[in-house]
Amino acid sequence: MKRLFHVTPSGWAGFALAAFAIVVLPGLSSSYWLSVFTSAGCFLLAISGVAFLYARLGMVSLTQVGLMGVGGWVALRLNHAFDFPFEVNLALAALSTMVFGWVLALPALRMRGLYLALVTLMAAGGLEILFATFQFPNGGEGFWGVKTGSSDPFRRPFLAQSAEDYLRYVLICAVLGFLFIELHRRLQPGRAWALIRRSEAAAMAAGVNVTLYKTWAFGITGLLGGAAGALLAGSLGLLDDGTFRASESVMIFALAVVGGARSWQGALIAAILYKVLPALLNIWGVYADLSFVIFGAGLLHAVITAPDGLAGQALGGLKALLRGKDRRDA
Amino acid sequence: MALARYKNWLLWAVLMAVVIGWFGWGGRPQMVGLFVASGLAVGSLYALGGIGIVVLYRATGVLNFAGGAAGAAGAMTAWQLSEWGLWDPIGWLACLAVALAITLVYGRLIAPRLAWRETVVKAVATLGFALIVLGLVSFLWIDDPRAITLPTDGIGVRILGMRITATRLIVFAASILIVFGIWLFLARTRVGLQMRALANDRDLAALMGIPILRVETIAWGISGVLAGFTGLMFADLIRLEPTVITFMVIPSIAAAICGRLENLTVVLLGGLSMGVIENMLTLSPVLRGVRPIAPFVIAALVLLYYQRGQRLTFGGRD
Repeated sequence: MKRLFHVTPSGWAGFALAAFAIVVLPGLSSSYWLSVFTSAGCFLLAISGVAFLYARLGMVSLTQVGLMGVGGWVALRLNHAFDFPFEVNLALAALSTMVFGWVLALPALRMRGLYLALVTLMAAGGLEILFATFQFPNGGEGFWGVKTGSSDPFRRPFLAQSAEDYLRYVLICAVLGFLFIELHRRLQPGRAWALIRRSEAAAMAAGVNVTLYKTWAFGITGLLGGAAGALLAGSLGLLDDGTFRASESVMIFALAVVGGARSWQGALIAAILYKVLPALLNIWGVYADLSFVIFGAGLLHAVITAPDGLAGQALGGLKALLRGKDRRDA
Repeated sequence: MALARYKNWLLWAVLMAVVIGWFGWGGRPQMVGLFVASGLAVGSLYALGGIGIVVLYRATGVLNFAGGAAGAAGAMTAWQLSEWGLWDPIGWLACLAVALAITLVYGRLIAPRLAWRETVVKAVATLGFALIVLGLVSFLWIDDPRAITLPTDGIGVRILGMRITATRLIVFAASILIVFGIWLFLARTRVGLQMRALANDRDLAALMGIPILRVETIAWGISGVLAGFTGLMFADLIRLEPTVITFMVIPSIAAAICGRLENLTVVLLGGLSMGVIENMLTLSPVLRGVRPIAPFVIAALVLLYYQRGQRLTFGGRD
């Protein structure tokens, strides 16, 4: 029990940063930055899901943004059809995306490595076209609920009506997402995943139900992606199909690798690169297409020089620094 | 026994006939024929993209997302040169050369640094390169409606009472000839043999003293020229827009999946079928809107079909 709730130094750093971000950040931000940070928070949650799947099981999901779209669609649909509070919409969106992820995963899980990645890429391509064709509900009639003109309002959580409070809300959700993953990692599923990561054969020989635990992990990724999509819907009030292209899903995975999939710092770096950096470049007036170039070059650099991502590089540097200091003190 | 061997082919033929019959039912035969013909042209583009991906993947272990970007750069160069009033064939050659050069830069300078990473990470790295190329291309040629017309667009050929532009015939014929050519190359030449050895077992091939760098460079070269050709044809038949051409790799990968990333003939047939089915969906009032989804659904179904009856067992490599 003690080990279950043990907080590592990295965990303390995470809590401190989260507390800082939740207490101080919203007060310092203009409305532009509030919306940037809020969507960065949503994508942080989604990235934590892909990064977890890749780091713990070596499984590659190239459809995370598509799953966000599914979650966002469900949340918008529920919002415009019923009078549920936001939390109910959020929970239902996350759960139905989890189920969607399972349906997607069950046939895909017999495949490994590249093939699994390609199946999820096909799913992302399919979802992209579905979103573009049917659009996201905005209060219209019928099942698809699309009308022309301005959309109906989206109810935000009771506790977080203002943009500042909503940013806090999203950040808290992101922290809860990380804790949810960490809890799983320390319990039986985490042990099973560790074994599967090493060798599926060994895991099977040891009596681990490989399919169950792989599906479970995929479900968690879907849950986090769906929640992220619903939160994004809450931030903007409406969703646009351009957000959920297959290329964005690939990009999210790429950035998770760039940041470093093994740590929360990596997911944070990925979210910042994905949302905050383009916003900065926008302010500095860098030509949008050139930001692609910077992005791509950063991706290549990170993939070639840093197997554990930028976070791994930075943490490694920090450790080396501390070790050097100890040696000098001794 | 003989039936079992041909079962997959038979199933494929029956399914294609059902799809064409189902959607074409009630339409004039000539109109249906036209839809099939233009579907074959689009499908050839998917297949050409898929063939480039498979050849490269087998020989080097890299799934290249950057082929579309290289093709886009080539097509834009061809457009620019013809805009400057140069003789058109120079533009077409420049298209192939630019795509080849871009692909070789990646293959020689960047890919070797990633040789030890997982397949998926290698694939994602090519995406980074695709972004760089796409960013530069969109920076050089800002968004603007453009078009490439080939002289063959004006030439029509009458087949069974239908008028089909020569460009479509060229794409279709090229896809078949290229598959045949690559098959000959792999089966009959020394480099082809070495390529097959690499595809079979990279480590063993390296131990046997196969000049990996040389063979890989040739594979990158083949895929680069293919990317350039596909880009040019795509720009002519569908749209000349860098982003669209760049992300054409995703349906191309769908075609490649149909051939399990190894069988070129099946990649060709898969790509052609995807194009035809996608075009036939236009005839259905319900499914018209979602017709670009066809390649992804087909690829997913094909994958499911391939692994029927398989159980999760102790697998080897991916």
